[in-house]
Amino acid sequence: MLLVPCPNCGPRNATDMNYRGEAHSRPDPDAATKEEWRTYLYLRDNPSGWLRENWYCSSGCRRHFQLERHTLTGELRNPPLPGRKTAGA
Amino acid sequence: MLVSWNTMPTSIPKENGSVADIQFESPVIIVDPAAACGSVTLTDESSMTKASVRAADDTAAASALGLAFGSAEHRGDVFVARIRPDEWMVFGAADMVVAMIAELDLGGYASTVDITHSRLMFRVTGGEAAKAMEKVCSLDFSDHMAPNGSCAGASVAKVGCDVIRDDIVGADGATIRSYRILCDRSFGQYLFDALVDAKAEFG
Repeated sequence: MLLVPCPNCGPRNATDMNYRGEAHSRPDPDAATKEEWRTYLYLRDNPSGWLRENWYCSSGCRRHFQLERHTLTGELRNPPLPGRKTAGA
Repeated sequence: MLVSWNTMPTSIPKENGSVADIQFESPVIIVDPAAACGSVTLTDESSMTKASVRAADDTAAASALGLAFGSAEHRGDVFVARIRPDEWMVFGAADMVVAMIAELDLGGYASTVDITHSRLMFRVTGGEAAKAMEKVCSLDFSDHMAPNGSCAGASVAKVGCDVIRDDIVGADGATIRSYRILCDRSFGQYLFDALVDAKAEFG
């Protein structure tokens, strides 16, 4: 069982969550070039290490939140406070 | 005023609690009444009036309802649970629930919905209730994680439910572990059968 740390509900079974993919900023649709937009839509960093991800707590608080996952070890942690997007934000 | 199915209005007025006095019949069919008895008991409390209040943090309704996220308490004859950061549920006798909702200031991002007929409520009671629940739900039901008066949204037998611990006092004065489980009406029969199956080994 993978325990996912929801900022509201605490550690919960991953089956209570939805994985919403890698977290990265969306370019301005009016200003972005086609290349930038394609990169945003289709390309992923896929790093070997810590990766910031979007999750949705579908069974619990029903909020979106971000966490960091280590793609080698599978370790999960809530992002450090600066820039942290908590469920209540 | 009790309204029978024959005279039930085809359109439901939008005033708060206006459908609360319509007589409610649970769709759950208990095939084997003996299965609902034993050291872990399963009861159907669906007929209790239920209201949902959604309110943003900075609203008067949120202040009035209070409670920390994940907690619940009795307030007189009404039971209030903050099931999500921005959602409260109010249960109880119809007139009491309607009275509490009517007192709320629904200014700002706040709204209320009568969910009496859309949600079913079961109660799992008994010393082994936690063990029975653990078979169908991945929550930690130990006392330090889920004390009396705690609540959480969770998947119960793969059905999206709200689980509230609300211990009861038995005839001998002893406290008996008890959980309220709310689910969508259409899943009720399945969930009831799943809970009967989960508790079967505990008698």
